[in-house]
Amino acid sequence: MIDQETIGLLLKGVNGVTWQSVVMICVSFVLFYLAIVKDYEPLLLLPIGAGCLLANLPLSPLMDEHGMLRVLYEVGVENELYPLLIFVGIGALTDFGPLLENPKFVLLGAAGQFGIFLTLLLALMLGFTKNQAASIGIIGAIDGPTSIYVSGILAPDMLGPISVAAYSYMSLVPIIMPPVIYALTTKEERAIRMAYSQRKISRRTRIMFPIIVTVMVGTLVPFATPLIGMLMLGNLMKESGAVERLTKASSNEIANMVTLFLGLAIGSTMGGEKFLQTQTLYILILGLLAFGIDCAAGVFFAKILNWITGGKVNPIIGAAGISAFPMAARVCQRLAQQENFDNFLLMHAMGANAAGQVASVVAGGVVLALMGAG
Amino acid sequence: MENLNWGLQMTVLGMGLVFSLLALLWLLLTVVLKLDKEPVEEETKAAPAQETAAAAEGAAAPADDAVPAQAPERPMVNGLPADLVAAILVATHKHRQTMRRQAAPLVRAVWPGSQMFASRWLATGRARQTNNWQPRGR
Repeated sequence: MIDQETIGLLLKGVNGVTWQSVVMICVSFVLFYLAIVKDYEPLLLLPIGAGCLLANLPLSPLMDEHGMLRVLYEVGVENELYPLLIFVGIGALTDFGPLLENPKFVLLGAAGQFGIFLTLLLALMLGFTKNQAASIGIIGAIDGPTSIYVSGILAPDMLGPISVAAYSYMSLVPIIMPPVIYALTTKEERAIRMAYSQRKISRRTRIMFPIIVTVMVGTLVPFATPLIGMLMLGNLMKESGAVERLTKASSNEIANMVTLFLGLAIGSTMGGEKFLQTQTLYILILGLLAFGIDCAAGVFFAKILNWITGGKVNPIIGAAGISAFPMAARVCQRLAQQENFDNFLLMHAMGANAAGQVASVVAGGVVLALMGAG
Repeated sequence: MENLNWGLQMTVLGMGLVFSLLALLWLLLTVVLKLDKEPVEEETKAAPAQETAAAAEGAAAPADDAVPAQAPERPMVNGLPADLVAAILVATHKHRQTMRRQAAPLVRAVWPGSQMFASRWLATGRARQTNNWQPRGR
């Protein structure tokens, strides 16, 4: 009654198991562990882990032509919709007030993008193509949506490892930043107290800020328009106070839903055959280097500002010129407080951190412009 | 080697562009912040409100007038000091509670919606039923 063919059909799944899929299933377990136990970016690493697991189960129907994971990928990752929608939510959650109080900190954000280009050079040395090197470099923006957006355009085949690297390192800010800061600053520098300006930021200025940034960046770097436009749209909605429901929806329901879809879609790109290559290891190492270089460049630049201003800038805040908002600023505050418990640097660091957000988007647009893509 | 040259060019151009764009943004923001300073007239307009507040406060607590002008600015609510408004609010609530206790039976001393007693509507209905002037059974 049960012939060989029936047994073959019953065991189709077991027969479809490959060593790559087993390894990738283990990788998904690691992602689950990081998200659930270690609490590293759980909102994204958990769905990525789930997508990775589901895509690597043998003969997964979810990855068929009309499978859910494939559809999610085509709907939002292939055409860059998800990262842009997430940017609306980020804009609605970000307060650019500390940056407006100290506009000169915009330059700290620019310094925090050095890692992008130095990593690009390193990737070229390792034999990656120009597009691949630029995509790996963009991990140095320390900005998940920007990394996904740029690498989705320049090197879609490397989207999985780049996204995992970008989000993993973002969550490792409290671990990666302190050694870099300690290595590059003295105890006296870390103890520098910075005065706060008494400038009052009017509501009109807060509303004008996103409009000015969009028009300026959009005109000068059209490739950055989608990124900066969506980020600033979210911020305009927040600051105007006119569309409270939309602001709440963007920063909660829409952002949560898109994060789930994005995580699953990214995870589904982590197929064993594609992911388990030497280049994945290179991407992860280069991403880590990019992060370190960003922090170091930021601290160096803040040291220069400190020298120019005659000792009025604490170099720690330079490390906050990356996009990991607001974690980077919090780490800076903690380090400053370790030297002097009364030192309250948080709002200065938040200013540099907000600048890092804008700068990473600008840098993403510049990379796309220089690569002639978009 | 060719790739490396290209990479170096990208680095110089890229960082140059990022810095230039953000420096321009810094300049623009500085201009906007300079132009959009809070006008001085607004502060002078606010003065009568502060005077009214001071007068009200003076009536409520004459001893406060003795406090010199360098005392820190107090938070205001609709032209009145916030602590004065809070005191008025507490006094009003206390007064309402006292009035309710004095003017009504026990059930009415509890706020509507409380689970401690039946609703005021129900309690009133029950009281009317019990203390009806009409003979029972009619």
